[in-house]
Amino acid sequence: MSTPSIHVANLRHAYSGGVVALEGIGFDVAAGERVGLVGPNGAGKTTLFLCLAGVLSVPRGVVRMADLDPSDPAQRRQLPAKVGIVFQNSDDQIFNSTVREDVAFGPLNLGLPVDEVRRRVAEALEAVGLRGLEERVPFHLSGGEKRRVALAGVLAMRPDILLLDEPSMHLDPRGRRELMQLINGLPVTQIIASHDLELILQTCTRSLVIDRGRIVADGPARQVLADAGLMEKHGLEVPYSLR
Amino acid sequence: MTSTLDVAAAPPSVLSRFDPRWKLAAFLFAAAATTLLQSPAPAASAFATALALATLARLPRRWCLTRLAFAALVAAPFVLLLPFTHVGEGPHWPLGPLTVSAQGLNAAGVVALKMLTLVLLMLVLLATGPMPDLFQAARRLHMPGPVVHVALLTHRYIFVLAGELTRIRLALRVRGYRNRMSLHCYRTAGHVAGTLLVRGYEQAERVGQAMRCRGFDGQFRTLSEFQTRTIDVLLFAASGVSAVLLVAWDFWQR
Repeated sequence: MSTPSIHVANLRHAYSGGVVALEGIGFDVAAGERVGLVGPNGAGKTTLFLCLAGVLSVPRGVVRMADLDPSDPAQRRQLPAKVGIVFQNSDDQIFNSTVREDVAFGPLNLGLPVDEVRRRVAEALEAVGLRGLEERVPFHLSGGEKRRVALAGVLAMRPDILLLDEPSMHLDPRGRRELMQLINGLPVTQIIASHDLELILQTCTRSLVIDRGRIVADGPARQVLADAGLMEKHGLEVPYSLR
Repeated sequence: MTSTLDVAAAPPSVLSRFDPRWKLAAFLFAAAATTLLQSPAPAASAFATALALATLARLPRRWCLTRLAFAALVAAPFVLLLPFTHVGEGPHWPLGPLTVSAQGLNAAGVVALKMLTLVLLMLVLLATGPMPDLFQAARRLHMPGPVVHVALLTHRYIFVLAGELTRIRLALRVRGYRNRMSLHCYRTAGHVAGTLLVRGYEQAERVGQAMRCRGFDGQFRTLSEFQTRTIDVLLFAASGVSAVLLVAWDFWQR
């Protein structure tokens, strides 16, 4: 078997104050695989993403992302080029004064030549359907448009691994449909955390269920999400298309 | 959402065509000279020049007057008190239990003119070019990075917090809250301010995390490219010479 793109073994994370957010988390994700991460509010989905992206500290050897160990400072500095994360709230992610500058922020930080950055910005905005909005001020955009800008900002960095936290939030049905097409067309490893279980079904072949900081189920998305008992027990519902 | 705090860019004008770096440098020169003025005539001249620049910049009149009025309101308590509190030589006139001094009136006039001049210059600077270019120009002029970053992030997130405040006010109104002079209202205002502070702090943490995830290493980089032309240098030279002449005139007037 080839080296997994994401490797997590017995990950534990506790916030200051002693609240344990993650306990004994372990899973592997193969290169190019799309995995859905579902669970009730406060289950630990965002904390897990922050650990995988190297934002929260993790013990040495517990996490490997695209062959990099986030616990190692030198390797952590290389993570942004390999791992892209789209946050739950787009306002946390978009801070530049124009859409173009915001999407260019990551590629410029990677030290790419300006011409290459311009090309990537154009491609990323095209991919999320925001071409023509380059000079718009982000805080004048709708929630859905901000979401796309946030996604474009990450896509422009061309990461090997994409972590999407509630990607369909604030999107209207058309935007959501386009997002699903976009996700399905991206040839990168993805973990998608969402309460939108239909989106998980449409985009992921595998699903992880997390509750109270522990992985409680891991298997084919259709099989896991169709398990009414499991869904009910962990504050979720079987998607309509599987009833 | 368009906030009332937003900067309304003026229509294209002579001033909007200048290189932001030279324009910012000229502004800093003019602002420094204005703050040094102590005599009414030079202060009035500075204000007249700022007015001329505002006209040249084609600032929207209503937009400009609203901001000037707000600035005047903030400065009013200090300006109005000066004629009564400034003790010095020269004539004094009794006004009920108070005394108005000529020097105080003079000082109040100078302070008001300087304040209006500075605000007007700032509006000209803000409205004649995109904000990102201005921040980038500041970095190119070797202004301290943290100062520019804080200004940029403040400009961005003040709108988010203003939106948050609007939502909180709406939430209060739909639950029957009305502003009144009562202990309950003061306490509510305190809670709202506290909530905004906490949310602002939490958001700042999340923003920092998001920036690090996109490879931020403390250096702001941009796609903007600036080009110096002769006219930019002339603008800066004109601003510098005017500033020096104004300060010299003021010094001679004292």
